[in-house]
Amino acid sequence: MLHLLKIDLKKMTSYRTFWVVCGLYFMTLGFGAASGMEFLKWLGRTFEDFGQSININRIPLYHFPDVWMNLIWCAGLLKVVLAVMVVISVTNEYTYRTLRQNVIDGLSRSEFLLSKILTNVLLSLMSVVLIFAIGLVTGLIYSPSIELDTILTDVEFFPAYFLEVFFFLSYALMLGVLVQRSGLTIILLLLSHMIEAIITSNIDEYVPDLIPFFPMRSIWNLVPWPFPRYAFQQIQDFVSLKAVAIVIGWTLVCNYISYFKLKRADI
Amino acid sequence: METVLSITGLTKHFGRINAVNNLSLEVKAGQVFGMLGPNGSGKTTTLGMLMGVVNPTGGSFTWFGQQPTNEIRKKIGAVLEHPIFYPYLSGQKNLELNSMIKQCPAENIPKVLELVELTERKDDKYKTYSLGMKQRLAIASALLNDPTVLILDEPTNGLDPMGIAEIRELIKRIAANGKTIILASHLLDEVQKVCTHFAVLKRGNLVHYGPVDEVGSGTETVEVNAEAGNLNELLLAFQGTATINRENGSYHVALRDGFHSKDLNQFLFDKGVVASHLVTKKKSLEKQFLEILASS
Repeated sequence: MLHLLKIDLKKMTSYRTFWVVCGLYFMTLGFGAASGMEFLKWLGRTFEDFGQSININRIPLYHFPDVWMNLIWCAGLLKVVLAVMVVISVTNEYTYRTLRQNVIDGLSRSEFLLSKILTNVLLSLMSVVLIFAIGLVTGLIYSPSIELDTILTDVEFFPAYFLEVFFFLSYALMLGVLVQRSGLTIILLLLSHMIEAIITSNIDEYVPDLIPFFPMRSIWNLVPWPFPRYAFQQIQDFVSLKAVAIVIGWTLVCNYISYFKLKRADI
Repeated sequence: METVLSITGLTKHFGRINAVNNLSLEVKAGQVFGMLGPNGSGKTTTLGMLMGVVNPTGGSFTWFGQQPTNEIRKKIGAVLEHPIFYPYLSGQKNLELNSMIKQCPAENIPKVLELVELTERKDDKYKTYSLGMKQRLAIASALLNDPTVLILDEPTNGLDPMGIAEIRELIKRIAANGKTIILASHLLDEVQKVCTHFAVLKRGNLVHYGPVDEVGSGTETVEVNAEAGNLNELLLAFQGTATINRENGSYHVALRDGFHSKDLNQFLFDKGVVASHLVTKKKSLEKQFLEILASS
């Protein structure tokens, strides 16, 4: 297992695009997550009523336990950058025909796929660790009181976040294996949410029970939008097991389709 | 001799096209096996199936008497079609990656780089290499795991005459170490120069299969010229002469079985004529190849 991960990392670590994209992703993730208060201050400066009607310093954006869900939800918006990197990584293997050479050299097709999946796991884990570290630091800075059980509240959103990123990367990998061309795959990836939204909005009157089962909707349901709570609305502050089960199901389906396609194809 | 590769009834269809049709053959240890055929005759498809990148429609094959797996592929060095590497990695890094895939020690890398004379350029990116260097790196990569079998598909394709000579020398040097080599080519001269056995494919069918030595045997043709006005009559009078052709100012004499060029030379000398030009021509593989293709 570790051997396969090393092979894929060897391919990537000398690839400049990989460093640029990953660097941009983790930097944007890090700085973006840490500058929420600045964003609120900017809102206060720009819109006159904003600071008066709500005291921005009272919004507990970075207080434990709110910080976890806020950061995780925002970080989820950036996962598409990482997914683009995954698409480039897999479609390169087709355009350079190195997949073919890898198999000739003695890698089995399933080992090849596993090496890509393991990289996806690693990238997802790194996102989780980074968000956890930023949440911990900002939480410790801004929280008025620091108690262990408030810190530990809502940390179950981290496994959900991992699942969200890992599913999306598996989806990107599958698209790459099926389409094999980077440009087209990236466009499809970026349009996925929109295409699904068009489909669901057309059928939700007839089959409303089916809507949560759509793949993009299912990761949406995994980590709910947290900000309405600052407008005194109830939000779902737990991870829905149904959403978890649906996302795990889609993750398995995506990776199996990649496997099936790779196994059957002449490369 | 130990059988390295045994193919039975191997078939591949791409839609309606029969790329390879019911192919059966055996390659023994130590052979330099040439696969000949015009473009599109199924050579690369066959090698692709042997190396696990093309799924056969039917038939089977064994390597070293075992069912093919990716573990067995690690012990076979192969270059199919053109060289394939990661363009953004240096030659050295590409080989390091291959040694990880083949699970062989990275200590072999300097050795194979030395063999193909790429040591000086090893840290340059692959995409900066010339075609000849790419081909040589591919051969280095194939040799990385010290394989007992080497598969080369058109290894001299697109090279200049010097590059062709270099690769040919390299193949001979490798063959001298007792490795089994399977060489696909449409350059007949190349196969005749390095191969011990050969097979001919035509539109996916095996049309000939045998040792190269047999090609050279059989009747000889001698190209003769001499400063004698009656050379034509003299040659006709020689009892070993089967037919005579006049080409480019010299005579091409096809000899009967059992007669050789030295007999003809002796005959002319006895008649007081000294040949100014005398070349023995064995039947070339090219000629036989064309005959095989025409008759099949």
